[in-house]
Amino acid sequence: MIFAILMPFIIAMCIPFIARFKSKIHTGYAVFATALSIFIYFLTLLVSGETDIFYHYSWIPSLGLDLTFYTDGLALFFALLISGIGALVAFYSVHYLSKNERLGHFYVYLLLFMGAMLGIVTSDNIYALYSFWELTSVSSFLLISFWFTKKASTDGALKSLLITVLGGFSLLGALVLLQIVTGSTSIRTILSEGSLILSSDWFPLIIVLLLLAACTKSAQFPFHIWLPDAMEAPTPVSAYLHSATMVKAGLFLLLRFTPVFRESESFFIAVSVIGLLTLFWGSYMAVRQTDLKGILAYSTISQLGMIMSMIGYGTEAALFAAMFHILNHATFKGSLFMAVGIIDHETGTRNIRKLGGLWKLMPVTGIISVLASFSMAGVPLPILNGFLSKEEFFTSSWELAHTRTFSTGFADVLMHVVPYAAVAGSIFTFVYSMYFFFGTFTGKRDKDIAEKAHDPNFGMLISPILLVCGVVIISIFPNWFSHHLLHPAANAVYGEALKEHHIHFWHGFTPALVMSLIVVILGTAFYLTRKYWAGLYQVLPGKLSGNAVYRALLTVSEKQTKTVNDRLVNGSLRQYNMVIISVISVVTLAILFGTNAFDLTNIDVSPVTLPGSLPELAVALIMITAAIGTTVSEKKLTAIIILGVVGYGLSILFVLFRAPDLALTQLSIETITVVLFLLCFRHLPEMERDIKEKLSKKVTNIIIAAVCGLMMTLVGLAAYSQRLFPSISDYFVKYSYKLGGGDNIVNVILVDFRGLDTLFEITVLAIAALGIYSLIKLRHKGEDR
Amino acid sequence: MTNLAILPILIPFLSGVLVAFTHNRLGLTRTLAMLLAIVHLITMGFLSFHVLTEGSIVLEAGDWIAPYGIVLVLDPLSALLVLTTSIILVAAVWYAPSSVSEEQESFYFYAFVFLLITGVSGAFITGDLFNLFVFFEVLLMASYALITHGGKKVQLRESIKYVLINLFSSMLFVTTVSYVYAVLGTVNMAQLAERAAASDSPGIITTVAILLFFVFATKGAAFPLYYWLPRSYIVPNPVISALFGALLTKVGVYSLIRTFTLIFHQQPEIIDNLFIWVGNLTMLFGVLGALASRNIKLIVAYNIIPAIGFMLVGIGMFNIDGLSGSIYYLLQDMIIKAALFLLAGTIASLAGTADINKMGGMIRSHPMLGWMFFIGGLVLAGVPPFSGFIGKLLLVRGAFEKGETVTVIIMLITSLLILLSIVRAFIRVFWGEGNTGAEPAGKHGSQIFSAGFLMLFTVFLGIGAEAILPSVQQIADYLLEPQTYIELVLKGDH
Repeated sequence: MIFAILMPFIIAMCIPFIARFKSKIHTGYAVFATALSIFIYFLTLLVSGETDIFYHYSWIPSLGLDLTFYTDGLALFFALLISGIGALVAFYSVHYLSKNERLGHFYVYLLLFMGAMLGIVTSDNIYALYSFWELTSVSSFLLISFWFTKKASTDGALKSLLITVLGGFSLLGALVLLQIVTGSTSIRTILSEGSLILSSDWFPLIIVLLLLAACTKSAQFPFHIWLPDAMEAPTPVSAYLHSATMVKAGLFLLLRFTPVFRESESFFIAVSVIGLLTLFWGSYMAVRQTDLKGILAYSTISQLGMIMSMIGYGTEAALFAAMFHILNHATFKGSLFMAVGIIDHETGTRNIRKLGGLWKLMPVTGIISVLASFSMAGVPLPILNGFLSKEEFFTSSWELAHTRTFSTGFADVLMHVVPYAAVAGSIFTFVYSMYFFFGTFTGKRDKDIAEKAHDPNFGMLISPILLVCGVVIISIFPNWFSHHLLHPAANAVYGEALKEHHIHFWHGFTPALVMSLIVVILGTAFYLTRKYWAGLYQVLPGKLSGNAVYRALLTVSEKQTKTVNDRLVNGSLRQYNMVIISVISVVTLAILFGTNAFDLTNIDVSPVTLPGSLPELAVALIMITAAIGTTVSEKKLTAIIILGVVGYGLSILFVLFRAPDLALTQLSIETITVVLFLLCFRHLPEMERDIKEKLSKKVTNIIIAAVCGLMMTLVGLAAYSQRLFPSISDYFVKYSYKLGGGDNIVNVILVDFRGLDTLFEITVLAIAALGIYSLIKLRHKGEDR
Repeated sequence: MTNLAILPILIPFLSGVLVAFTHNRLGLTRTLAMLLAIVHLITMGFLSFHVLTEGSIVLEAGDWIAPYGIVLVLDPLSALLVLTTSIILVAAVWYAPSSVSEEQESFYFYAFVFLLITGVSGAFITGDLFNLFVFFEVLLMASYALITHGGKKVQLRESIKYVLINLFSSMLFVTTVSYVYAVLGTVNMAQLAERAAASDSPGIITTVAILLFFVFATKGAAFPLYYWLPRSYIVPNPVISALFGALLTKVGVYSLIRTFTLIFHQQPEIIDNLFIWVGNLTMLFGVLGALASRNIKLIVAYNIIPAIGFMLVGIGMFNIDGLSGSIYYLLQDMIIKAALFLLAGTIASLAGTADINKMGGMIRSHPMLGWMFFIGGLVLAGVPPFSGFIGKLLLVRGAFEKGETVTVIIMLITSLLILLSIVRAFIRVFWGEGNTGAEPAGKHGSQIFSAGFLMLFTVFLGIGAEAILPSVQQIADYLLEPQTYIELVLKGDH
């Protein structure tokens, strides 16, 4: 089992080597073989009834991240879908992509995707599921931008990446919360702790985040906007990722957690409303498209919405129908995409306005399309599986009001509205299906197209034909599929065993049949009269569009961010200092007073007595005056000399406080500084004090400087007056001579007790010397050239 | 055995001195530098292994017993950090010859690099607040020398801002150390922790701690103190940018982690919220700059800042997940930032411009470069299975455990915007029409390999996280219990 899931990754690593031999065999065959063998493996599991296979590998246990795979009915269902459609798509792509393309890249991405998808559906560990989830987003990004020179491709790829990764990140949030609530990273354990989750305070947030993940991945309104742009990808990719599998990952996620959430009313409201809205909006917008792939993209959005709404209902019938429709959708939509690929390949266009009358030129493609699109429309014929699942959808919508009871008024009303919404949303499904088929295969034929168009070689037709056979076979033997495939899956989704469900073509005159007939009749009417109501699109959506919002956000992220950022980081050192100093001062003052730390009760400063402290006062006064003087002096020479006064004043203070060694040190430093300044005096730039500077600016600067000085002084005083512990300096007094062998304590500290400090301070000086030397030398050499 | 703790500073220090003397023989300098960097890496590997398995090493410098002398403490946190530093050193020395001009190389370039590493490693292992200041000075002085190295006009213009702001913060640092000494009567970190915990007037301790917070936050480039960083980091040679981007801000973050878990956590309601809110704003404003930039180097430089925000919020959570998330993020961010700076440098050098709007289609000639840059973006955004994901997951969990939903939302949005900033650059540089940098890689080959060397570690820290993560979680646990550190250093006999 582990091999089946890891096989795509292993083969992906080998592809670059296989691709070397592309002149002989198309790389796609390797992928086809991979997918097919995985399909067969899962098929044997299905046939043998050997579900619940389990594989465990501890990957990062400290994080709770294990590779634990298991197959229940749901996982098996999806795994078969992924590998089965994957094999068909790989086979199709062999004929679709010429050997001149970058096949190596294409198939590596495709295999990564396939492996990731299999990982999502079989993972038991939430973080492993998440990892695979993100991998599908990334591989989808790379596949959409396969033709990376086209701007439309890379734009579409970026859009899909951003939206799906947004969902991915919220999924991470939801999963972390699930772990926190249940204390486990195993999905099976989490599912068994349903009541814990439902009663948790985090529950609303979990729902929101989980839905965000599912809706972005499964292109639900209003996040659907990435899917139409993703159609820039090569058609096999659209058929595989963007209709059959990846977009269903969001549905899978909800299905996986349905056993916990299906009882929740907020889950019902949110999921059903989103689903029905998407069902309607997708189908409504599909009729407006002119690109065949555009029609299919919106159609996919709409169909996903329909499945979503059934998940929201949460009843036995609805969940079963959801599974059924996922299967059917994969068959008919996959074959439609492949048909569009063929049409594009043969006629060179996908524009429905240019196409028409292809029925006679491409009969096989025509038959494929008619069966698939009529199945999609839900035309009541016994050979169309789409009709059967549509019926199930209507039945479950209708019966919802009879099977569930809700406590809140809104949910109660909603449940009665659901059947009407379901019919309303399905009408346009019928319309676009007709539009798609008749627009392409009947009507006038374009002259240029007539000459070259014909059915493609048989190889390209095999995959869509097989899928359409699937459409017919499923509708003829629905109960075989129901028993072996859908039922185990629905059991897993529901969380307990369902009663055996039989699918019939004919139910008698049930409400569902009436709903179907309404859809067919109204749909035909709308289709025939579409010219007359097309003006509606000017009103709705009119100028409202999710795309506009997305584009605006993207522009903001490029333009407005620059405006804001340039204002903050404007290159002015003065502003940087203003911000730094004022933030530090204000916050520190706030904390100083906020914590009542400004406590001077134990302050121990020598008193100021008048004749006695006169010398100190005088020196202090001179220093203050000099310090102010440097800031206002207009000549550099004056500034340098006045600055020296401050330093010399300090050394006099040291003398007065009987610290001759410090005084000497200070004196020599001061002298050296002044001498150095004067030495390079000639090279210093003229001082450009902006005399005309605005007064308000000056005042601001003065205030900031004063507040900073005040803050440092007050904190200093507070610190000095709250000496909470005795200083360790006693030790040095005691042992300086005895252990250090020196009378001068400061010296012993410098060279012995804390010799390491001194060593590295010397290093600092050495680095400074070398730095200045090489700065001057290198600069000098640079100027010579 | 205890003497081993000096090695993280001794090896680069002596190496720096040694290569300074060979500066007029370039070939010898290069060989020596590479050799010594590898020796350092291997030694740090052994040392870290020793510390993680056998326990921490404490060295009392000059045999002066703690708390009176200076102690060097090589505990698991410091060991992992000096190891990561030595990995980056190797990549930098590998990349340098093809990027730095020969003239610059012979003007003590490698000496400055080694002395920078000395300062950084010293800051990581010292157990003494004043000694931390000294090592800050060493690394700052070396960084001043490196940022002006070459002496181009734009370099000098931006570096004067860098120098002045750092001088200001050094000044504040030394003043604050004196305040701390006034209040607690010592500068030994273990004793500071012991005394701070025993005191009954937390207000003044918190107040001086706030000043220290700002000192480290300025080095660490937290909001709103980061303005100086982006432009000054992109002016020197890419190797220097990589060293700065990977190491300097992280020293600030490390110092915050060390001092605020060990000593200054007396009033969690203030300290934790300060970390969380400064962190939140740092993430948002940092990524804003990354989005606003069109210069590939600037995009990478701005991306330093949101990462700092991630680490700060993790400290503010003050639980195992939050702290281990911060530490893991710190370790992996050092490596990935160095790699991205090197890659951006190579891209700009190949294209002859740093403006992403003037490039296109580069993937055709340089696929390796392109995919590494792309993976770099995924790492930064925290996409599994790469290293960024591990840290982010822990941080998200830590934040939820503390009930900080807003922070989680900001983290996730920031991650998305980081991804946008890098992927947008990737698309413009490597995809689209055009064929920038079509000439063969040539001398850029070794640049791509040295960045690839770092990328290997990033991938390893993601897929092989289990090798490191349990130790990181133990470190977080140990940081939450300062008593272990105190007993380790003071041995209860003072």
